[in-house]
Amino acid sequence: MKCCDVEQVLQELLDGEPDIAFEGRSSERTVEMRRASSDLEAHLKSCPACSELAADLKLISSQARQLAASEEPPSRVWVRIAAELHAEGLISQPTPIRPVLVPTSAPRRWSLWWLAPVAAGLVVAGSYVVSHRPAPQVAQQTPATPVTNAATAPSPVPAPVPLPKTAAATPASVPAPARQQLAQKESKPAGLPETAAGQAVANAPGNEDQRAEDQQFLSVVSTLAPSARATYESELQAVNADIRETQAYVNRNPGDEDARQHLMDAYQQKALLYQIALDRIQ
Amino acid sequence: MTDPTPGITEREAIEQAKQGNEAAFEVLYNLHKRRVYSLCLRMVSNPVQAEDLAQEAFLQLFRKIGTFRGESAFSTWLHRMTVNVVLMQLRKKGLPVVSLEETLETDEQAPRKEFGAKDLKLTGSIDRLQLQRAIDRLPPGYRNVFVLHDIEGFEHNEIAQMVGCSIGNSKSQLHKARLKLRDYLKFMRAEKAKTG
Repeated sequence: MKCCDVEQVLQELLDGEPDIAFEGRSSERTVEMRRASSDLEAHLKSCPACSELAADLKLISSQARQLAASEEPPSRVWVRIAAELHAEGLISQPTPIRPVLVPTSAPRRWSLWWLAPVAAGLVVAGSYVVSHRPAPQVAQQTPATPVTNAATAPSPVPAPVPLPKTAAATPASVPAPARQQLAQKESKPAGLPETAAGQAVANAPGNEDQRAEDQQFLSVVSTLAPSARATYESELQAVNADIRETQAYVNRNPGDEDARQHLMDAYQQKALLYQIALDRIQ
Repeated sequence: MTDPTPGITEREAIEQAKQGNEAAFEVLYNLHKRRVYSLCLRMVSNPVQAEDLAQEAFLQLFRKIGTFRGESAFSTWLHRMTVNVVLMQLRKKGLPVVSLEETLETDEQAPRKEFGAKDLKLTGSIDRLQLQRAIDRLPPGYRNVFVLHDIEGFEHNEIAQMVGCSIGNSKSQLHKARLKLRDYLKFMRAEKAKTG
């Protein structure tokens, strides 16, 4: 076999299941293909270029399989689907979330307050990680975001907000990841490489504060909307995994703007998840 | 497929969705959303369009769920429906769902076989984001066959039926897609080596 014949045979044999491909063929064709296969193997042993080609194509094919189901759709997709199902009258048994979730006591109602700053803070955190620019004003702007407005508008009681205990010593409008990042920014020496700060920030979704907030979020959801807990838990796991994975990539490729944007999207998606929970629960 | 929601299986969710139960719809959505959205995203390479297509695929599924009798796997049914939704959209936009044969392939589209030095082998593993970008750069026809075969696991006869081409054409497109991806990935590595 010559190098110019290799591609033709590879095309036949690399499609995953050559034995299945032989089925249904005439026995003559089957014998021909098996001979070609053994010729190919012999050629690959003696030709580094063709061997490399075959290995690369196999690698591409095998790695591609891992892309199936690798992307998490934004939470708004389900929101739109559910709205359409309602509009078309396909839902006759709505999920009884609202009746169950009517606040029955002030502490319960107030226990949801921390979701809004956490959601807003996630956007801040994402912005900071992506831009790596000191932006103290960003945190100050947070109360003006729709997330915060949505949370504050319905509440008539001007009582103090019982934040998660991790937030006790810090301003209520800034959740742990953002607080940590802002603290890092404040203490960062002028000459510190920006990637170092970004790298530290990047671990936010996996740090203890974030985990604690996630757990508190889930415990509130499971108390007020038990049927929705699994959904939110799975959403949280997915978006946290996405943030971690993308951050790891950004750490390796700090100049990759697309990856930074993807990371920002992931943070925004997490913020949206909190916001949706807030909208549904309150 | 296992159900992430304790106490309800996919089969039960299907039956409850047939009765119009919103929570059951949501369970089914959560079970399959990643696969459906990823498929749409790979085929159109546009997150906004992918969201719309995923939404349309699920809506079609939910509208027809009363006709699902369980003879085939629910996921198979949904994924075929998703592919059809995407292909219909591509046809509406006048985009090729399968590339024409190499007679019409321009030099720009043809795999550059001379590309890539020996010292830039794709050994080990390929970075996921780089592979995603390389797939996004494929011409739509090549991309569709590659996504359907190598990512989604459809057979050539199924692909030929869905996109409306011969089995041989499907195989040929797949092989060319892999060659182009190899070129793109080597190019990316070379660029990264230059800059980094």
